[in-house]
Amino acid sequence: MSAKIQRLAEIDRVIHEPGRLMIVALLAAVEEADFQYLRQTTGLTQGNLSAHLTKLDEAGYIAIEKTFRGKYPLTLCRLTERGKEVLDNYRKVIKAAL
Amino acid sequence: MNETSSRLFEESSERIAGRLMQKAHNQDGLPEIAIGVVFLALAVVCWLPTAVQPRSPAYVAAICGQALLIPILCLRLPWAIKTVRRKFLIEREGYVESRPANRKYVAIVIAIAIAFGIAGVFAAFRGSFPPASWVLGATGIGGGVLAAIAGKLPRFITGGAVMAVTGLVLAFSAVSLATGFAILYGLMGALSLLSGCVVFLHFLHFMRLPAEPGE
Repeated sequence: MSAKIQRLAEIDRVIHEPGRLMIVALLAAVEEADFQYLRQTTGLTQGNLSAHLTKLDEAGYIAIEKTFRGKYPLTLCRLTERGKEVLDNYRKVIKAAL
Repeated sequence: MNETSSRLFEESSERIAGRLMQKAHNQDGLPEIAIGVVFLALAVVCWLPTAVQPRSPAYVAAICGQALLIPILCLRLPWAIKTVRRKFLIEREGYVESRPANRKYVAIVIAIAIAFGIAGVFAAFRGSFPPASWVLGATGIGGGVLAAIAGKLPRFITGGAVMAVTGLVLAFSAVSLATGFAILYGLMGALSLLSGCVVFLHFLHFMRLPAEPGE
């Protein structure tokens, strides 16, 4: 039991943050989504979402592609293989420990 | 955000993602409008053969409609919703590319449809259809439960309850199967269309275009 609890210390702190976990969980359920969709769906503010996406991108958990659709910039986000692995591991650790 | 944060510790990330996506999918009311159109079309093709002379052009059109219109609508409406969203609403609600449908669930749905089809053919050969009241009651309750489970949102649960109650009321009344189906589908179609239009207008009014598009 204590070994399982101790595994909580291994939790990835980048996706443990609720806002980022929400983004990663959403991206795990779709192929790709843009900034506006993530903002509408998560209810995060523009600045908050932008900061979380940058952190996830820097960690290599999501891939961000900046493009245009007409005059509107389109920021497409998708979960990388590394992001999927980290999320799976996060789920396993939480399930085992709690 | 705080509410969402606390929920994250109570629910699994998959359930949260599913709930948030379901909410986002229905935020513009287009799926309800599409369901309303399908139900109203169903009501018309159920009612028309009872109201016109057999073998008249309208009768033939109704029978063809029963066979072709509904599958075509069911196949093309998701595409129509996607097109409308991509063309007119993307700046308001954002862009999302869903994953292809889970093959396991698709196979289960197809297997259930085939089982019902075989049961229908078998019943037709034996001439032992269940009474109209049973079929109407079961359709109302089954459809209502399905709407509540699939929709999850309060308005879908309310719609499901209305469908179940309507099915039960029709089961205890002396209406024929075709008339019962026409009333059940017509009522559900009108309700769904009305609710979808209200949600759509609300969405257009409150989800204004971002002043600084994108980020």
